[in-house]
Amino acid sequence: MKKALIIALLAVAAIPLLAAMASMPRFGSPEQPAYTHVASRYLQKGAEEAGADNVVTGVILNYRGFDTNGEVTVIFTACAATAAVLVTSGSRKKEKPGEATVPLSPVVGYVVRLLAPFIALFAFYVVLFGEVSPGGGFQGGTIFAALIIILSVVAGRNVAERVLPARVRPWLQIAGPLSFIAVGTLGAVLTGSYLGFPHARGLLATAMLMGIELGIGIGGATVFASIFWRLGDEP
Amino acid sequence: MIGALWSNFDYAVSVVLFLIGLYCVIAKNNLIKKFMGLNIMETSVFAFIVAIGVVDRGSAPIMGPGARGPFVNPIPQALILTGIVVAVSTTALALSLIVRVWHQCGTIEADELRELE
Repeated sequence: MKKALIIALLAVAAIPLLAAMASMPRFGSPEQPAYTHVASRYLQKGAEEAGADNVVTGVILNYRGFDTNGEVTVIFTACAATAAVLVTSGSRKKEKPGEATVPLSPVVGYVVRLLAPFIALFAFYVVLFGEVSPGGGFQGGTIFAALIIILSVVAGRNVAERVLPARVRPWLQIAGPLSFIAVGTLGAVLTGSYLGFPHARGLLATAMLMGIELGIGIGGATVFASIFWRLGDEP
Repeated sequence: MIGALWSNFDYAVSVVLFLIGLYCVIAKNNLIKKFMGLNIMETSVFAFIVAIGVVDRGSAPIMGPGARGPFVNPIPQALILTGIVVAVSTTALALSLIVRVWHQCGTIEADELRELE
């Protein structure tokens, strides 16, 4: 009875939404308003103005740099808030090194150990080639965090934590906002405005973008791995 | 209207996905399932906005030698990239709050939590 009522309510809600979708410009049309204004300029001038061949990276880090600056702060804040909500006394259940948290077949463990260096290499490739190919800091950081998470599931958390030692982890967690502030201040010194990128020196602008990407990648990977570990902690 | 909706099939799919997520949020009793419903709604919005950026026979907006247009719209992709990361952050915070509720109350079923008050 209750379910039928909810489905009827959703059917009523679907009508205006579907009507709005029917009145949108045709899917994939080059004449739609979203494509003809700002986007066409970004596509024409974006590569030389932003210093990155990949226009998406240019939009994220250069045209909308302030937005991304706030957003790397959001993921750091999420990490801090998770740590604040799940306060632990530090008495984590001791596990032997190399012991998996769940029983696994040896094939899984072997394959993960075999693939781990290649996954790490791919993560760094995605981070560093975000300028000229699909990829960037967030994507590469997520791949690296996935590697750390799968290692801590398969090989045990103590093995995975050796990749990100507890001593340097707070600094790595805030690497994203810190690299943004550093590059933004450098831009302020060079061009007079925060997060300004010097147009004339294309190589320098690309190097600055790469610095931010690396910071976002390291910061994102550490934040996601720390959140995963924190969720698994005993209270 | 049906013809117009058929040519905008990709947008209509995201509406259906949105409603599935909304159903989970309303109908499910478990807090984690409710939140996964919210995640499905987020995903439908992401799919919708990325679909706006699609251009017929467009290639990835990566310039350099040999790149030929038309290119797809880079702005929705950039917006959604940041949106996905914020969605991950909210998911992490919500899951940690749910873990906290489970430790404090011993249950994450919404109706049982209401009785505890």
